[in-house]
Amino acid sequence: MSIDAKTAWEPYTPSADNPWDLRKVGHLYRRAGFGATKAELDAGLADGPAKTLDRVLAGTPDGADFVRTSEYMASEKSMPSGTPGTRLSAWWLDRMLKTGHPLREKITLFWHNHFATSNTGVRNTRYMLGQYRLMNQHALGSFREMLVEMGTDPAMMVWLNTVDSVKGKPNENYARELMELFSLGIGHYTETDIREAARAFTGYELTNGKGTFNSRKHDAGEKTVFGKTGAFRGEDIARLCLDQPACPRFITQKLYAFLVSEAEPPSHELIEPLADLYRKSDFDTGKLVRVILRSNVFFSPGAYRARIKGPVDFAVGIVRGLEGTAGALPLAAMLEGLGQVLFAPPSVKGWDGGPTWLNAQTLLSRNNLALALTSTEGSAFGNRCDPATVLARHGKKTDEETVDFLLGVFLQGDVPAESRTRLLDYLETSKATKHPVYWTPDDVTNHRIRAVAHLVLTLPEFQLD
Amino acid sequence: MTDRRDFLKTSTLLGFGATVPAFLSRTAATAAPTGKPGAKDTILVVVQLTGGNDGLNTLVPHKDAEYYKLRPSLAIPKDQVKGIGHDLGLHPAMEATARLFNDQSAVCVVQGVGYPNPSQSHFRSMDIWQAASTQETLSEGWVGKALKTQPGPAFHLAAGNESAPLALNGAPVRVPSITSLEDFQLKMAAASGADQAAQKGVITGVAATPTSPGSPNRLLDFVARTQLNTYASSDKLATVGKNYQPKVPYPETPFASRLKLAAQLIEAGTGARIYYVSLANFDTHAGQGGAAGAHANLLRQLSDGLSAFYRDLAERGHKDRVCVMTFSEFGRRAGENSSKGTDHGSGAPMFLVGGKVKPGVVGEHPSLTKLEAGNLVHGIDFRRVYAAVLDKWLGIESQSVLGPGFDPAEVFAV
Repeated sequence: MSIDAKTAWEPYTPSADNPWDLRKVGHLYRRAGFGATKAELDAGLADGPAKTLDRVLAGTPDGADFVRTSEYMASEKSMPSGTPGTRLSAWWLDRMLKTGHPLREKITLFWHNHFATSNTGVRNTRYMLGQYRLMNQHALGSFREMLVEMGTDPAMMVWLNTVDSVKGKPNENYARELMELFSLGIGHYTETDIREAARAFTGYELTNGKGTFNSRKHDAGEKTVFGKTGAFRGEDIARLCLDQPACPRFITQKLYAFLVSEAEPPSHELIEPLADLYRKSDFDTGKLVRVILRSNVFFSPGAYRARIKGPVDFAVGIVRGLEGTAGALPLAAMLEGLGQVLFAPPSVKGWDGGPTWLNAQTLLSRNNLALALTSTEGSAFGNRCDPATVLARHGKKTDEETVDFLLGVFLQGDVPAESRTRLLDYLETSKATKHPVYWTPDDVTNHRIRAVAHLVLTLPEFQLD
Repeated sequence: MTDRRDFLKTSTLLGFGATVPAFLSRTAATAAPTGKPGAKDTILVVVQLTGGNDGLNTLVPHKDAEYYKLRPSLAIPKDQVKGIGHDLGLHPAMEATARLFNDQSAVCVVQGVGYPNPSQSHFRSMDIWQAASTQETLSEGWVGKALKTQPGPAFHLAAGNESAPLALNGAPVRVPSITSLEDFQLKMAAASGADQAAQKGVITGVAATPTSPGSPNRLLDFVARTQLNTYASSDKLATVGKNYQPKVPYPETPFASRLKLAAQLIEAGTGARIYYVSLANFDTHAGQGGAAGAHANLLRQLSDGLSAFYRDLAERGHKDRVCVMTFSEFGRRAGENSSKGTDHGSGAPMFLVGGKVKPGVVGEHPSLTKLEAGNLVHGIDFRRVYAAVLDKWLGIESQSVLGPGFDPAEVFAV
């Protein structure tokens, strides 16, 4: 990326050759949330970067109705421990669709992929909900607190066998992933560090659904980890990991890939100031996110469309863009075909993301989900997310207005001219198509709008984020 | 049966007529000449056992007293193993495989397979096996490289939310992951046949639109290529296998269904030479079980699935064309842990199943007394097995995939 490392992380200010435009507003809303609506795009363009970023970073308070409903749906009565995982997945999707603070849910999704815990191993929906709350609470807060608390998070304790680990017979699973995946990355610890650290994580058990410490099952002897010796407990190991220079770098790099670009890893020069900032802030994730999102790097050409859109972003982005609502349960069920089931990542490594999101199967599922959302014929979603309704609401009538509105909302019009022509040609030829005799002229118009909306969502550019 | 070359002509470029997009035609699959020894229509089915299969309870050294000391609660009792000679027995859940070994001479077991300085990380070790390399950064898989050397279709038969493995990265045409033939359909809400054709024209057309030369985007190229490849094979695959009746019943497991799908694609003559299938959940840290239990259930799925697949294909006359090869990212710690499970280890067996494998056992069983940090020490590098599969079976020069220094292991009868 041809960007000056000195000014890379300073706030972006518009210039003649890098102006503030709709593409940048769309970019910001995709990365810091799940995509923009027409109104958000227009306001963002008018308000300029500083004010738009303030709005995105702060979010708006959730409505009382939404909070009440969401809390009720998550109550023990509504969602007991044996509830199928799809219900919890749907609950979270519903939050993503309706929240006034998408950034917080988006970063929670980042942490979910980081501490990738699956209900297929945990088999307790309430434990999974508890872990969501832990991550949501610290999403833009202290990584230090989150990492320490994760050691006694019930879902994690079941997922990585801490509950089976006792003095004399430590289970290495959590100690290993704590270092390899949660804090340092491979190459920054030894096998001995893991075996020693595993001893520190003995004696933790679940009591009434809470992670507790049982000194009788704990190995209280001295352990040597990263060259330091002491009668460490689990939380001490987490702190030792946080003290390693590799830790802020590891998390920062991962967050860079999530927010900025997964096309190529950042240079040492570029990442080091960020890692430094993260360490000095004592792992204040909110601060790190704010710096990244405001930066020159974030608004540079190298960051634009430099990620493959994940399935959740794809689905939630369509519904938000169409100003609609969608049943979260069928949405959760269909996301499986796209390769992302919330609370059920494929392994503790999480979703690999990037190009692995797309293969023949998941690509067809994407097209078919876009079809189910935009057509009103399927039973899964009904017509609560109807392109024809949105176009009418915005007073768009001609073929050109229709195509440009849809391309504007979803891609800020940034597609090859040839693709736009193909969409217009389709609308033209579809006028001459034989439609069922019982269709009214309105039926025909609406059908054409919905069909072209589906086609827009299959554009290769829309698969990028 | 459709000729392989015909399929390639009709399928890979299906729907684009004379105007094949430039970036696609550069990488379009072309069939290799079939005159070369070992290159003639042979098929490899790679079976990945994800999570680290416990080799010691899969191929049991039941004459070794040390085994019973290491595994006080998990050992398979002597009288329950399925003997295959050589002082070895298969886990009782693998009875069907033992029958293929003893009655059909269709199994080759390679013992003590691994690589130097084994990693105990699932992900690192799996990457090493899938890339066939221990380099620090691994971005291409060994199957992908093989397909680069000898282009042709291949399939990843995926479980629901399973992403494409690293092993397939680097293939010139992205290897499709499929879960069922019925799902493999591009759907549209069309008012008529003409409307459908018009919509499909746009969907494939926009993917073939070259990106503006000023701003090349590698990810965008990747998306477009994947889309074109997908749409091209979608029609063909949707019709394949509609009339398929297995010659033997397959077990009702997702793993066996994936193998059945492979059998359908083989029988349909799609021309694919490499298939990739996984069976997950071998990470048995706790409650692994001995002759019965969690691990036994996994091995039963594996063994019964492989047996049905082999016998189905044999009845269709493909047994000498097909070779199945199993692997896992590592074996497990020799001694059991306190959770009645086993932690990550190294050195484990691989199985090759097919009409042309050299029946029997290859290599030495790793010593149970000379352990390294509690782990079995490997005797054969896994890349020697890959080398055999590439050189002797697929007719792909192994050095271009693996680099120098890996003599093919003696696993084929040819």
